[in-house]
Amino acid sequence: MPMIKLHNVSKAFDQNKVLDRISLEVEESESLVILGGSGTGKTVLLKVILGLLRPNDGNIFVDGARVNIDQPTALFEIRKKIGMCFQMAALFDSMTVLENISFGLSRHTNYSSVQIRSRVDECLTLVGLRDTATLYPSELSGGMKRRVGFARAIALKPKILLFDEPTTGLDPVMTDVISKVITDLRSELRATTITITHDLKVAFNIGQNISLLHRGSIVASGSPQGFASNQDPLVVQFIKGTSEGPFLADPPPKSQITI
Amino acid sequence: MVSFVEFLGAKIISNVSSFGDFILVSIRCFRSIFKRPFDTNYFLNQCSFVGVSSVPVVLMTSLSVSMVFAVQLAFGFKQFQAEGLASQVEGLAVIRELAPVITGLMLAGRVGSAMAAEIGTMRITEQIDALECLATDPIHYLFVPRFLAAILMLPMLTILSIYISFWGGHFILVNLSFQSSDFYTSEFFKLISSSDLRIALIKAFVFGVIISLVGCWKGFRTEGGAVGVGAAPTSSVVTSSLWILIADFVLTKLLLV
Repeated sequence: MPMIKLHNVSKAFDQNKVLDRISLEVEESESLVILGGSGTGKTVLLKVILGLLRPNDGNIFVDGARVNIDQPTALFEIRKKIGMCFQMAALFDSMTVLENISFGLSRHTNYSSVQIRSRVDECLTLVGLRDTATLYPSELSGGMKRRVGFARAIALKPKILLFDEPTTGLDPVMTDVISKVITDLRSELRATTITITHDLKVAFNIGQNISLLHRGSIVASGSPQGFASNQDPLVVQFIKGTSEGPFLADPPPKSQITI
Repeated sequence: MVSFVEFLGAKIISNVSSFGDFILVSIRCFRSIFKRPFDTNYFLNQCSFVGVSSVPVVLMTSLSVSMVFAVQLAFGFKQFQAEGLASQVEGLAVIRELAPVITGLMLAGRVGSAMAAEIGTMRITEQIDALECLATDPIHYLFVPRFLAAILMLPMLTILSIYISFWGGHFILVNLSFQSSDFYTSEFFKLISSSDLRIALIKAFVFGVIISLVGCWKGFRTEGGAVGVGAAPTSSVVTSSLWILIADFVLTKLLLV
């Protein structure tokens, strides 16, 4: 049984169709990377899996249970199995790092304060951020915020980790650090992961399977090697990173300057 | 003409839809009151923010309004050689109307707007989504402590406002209108019965409900980035103030009869 299954999922905002009958399956402990340009519905896909957005059509199953926004109790049970890492970390800015990471633990476990502190330290060690527990989010750099976000997401030992553009806006060195942290977390927790990104280096570093999302549909899927050798013009253009091709709906005008 | 009718229709539908959403969110808040876990520290922080931090504002406004009112009453009743009535009317007006309404309006500005801004910022920066992802109902976590703090603190601040207003009137009518202190004190409470204090506290309670629910709801439904976060507190203050004045009239009519 797949850990995550989407069957014909569609989502539209008014007339704007963002997801168009998407079906995909992610097996237990698999690392799926979903590539795609800006505004192709990648984040919407994660929010639909989490039940933060209601799909217009289709069904989503997480660990065998159907994601149903109308059943909040069951939905919260599903969410306890998922750790979500937001693009901009979404840390609670009025709380310290310690309070951020212990938030889920203090609400959903019977841990004593000593046990909670120990688990927080464990999570911070996993993301390479010991000695930051007393800091506030405003005192952290962008890369540190992301890693604290990861630590918060793994605190409840979830079966599934979702990463929304984890390296966007970071320098190459920090991007590499984040990639390594994601790989370490996955192997440490044996979690199923879906990573949304448009960074090819990250995708090939951490993905066991890679899919390309284009205008609301999955247009190509495969192992990193298979994906790299895919001759679909959309995949070829995305990997090459050129502006000419079928990828853009409104490509920039051709240069009139001749030398 | 057709476009005007379309515009009007769309506006009415939008307002009815917003009101319906407010009612549904409020019902979710009432239902969440007895849910566990209850974050006591967060609730006490909200009590401190709504109650303790509002003391200076309530003190200053109550003092100035009661003093102005006393000056007006002293002047007005002097025209009829009935200066003694000023203390009685001061007491009646302060307890029945001025204290709860002034406290409500000041807290709509100070507390309601802060609730809208804080929750609105959390919405825009995905902190509310993060709460949901941590299997936490944002209505339970964000609304309930603010709601309980407001309905608890508004009546207490209203009592404080009555006490301060008593001394504001005392300062004017005793020191400037030369009434004796004993006369002022006995006249201040002459027309007041225990039901008047009860009415004041009921009003304060209802104003607490309005301020907290409108502030939280405006923040919760914030959209549109910085512009939305900027608009939420303004809208919260205007809506709360309007509803406080309407509720004041309705409660006065219902409870005084």
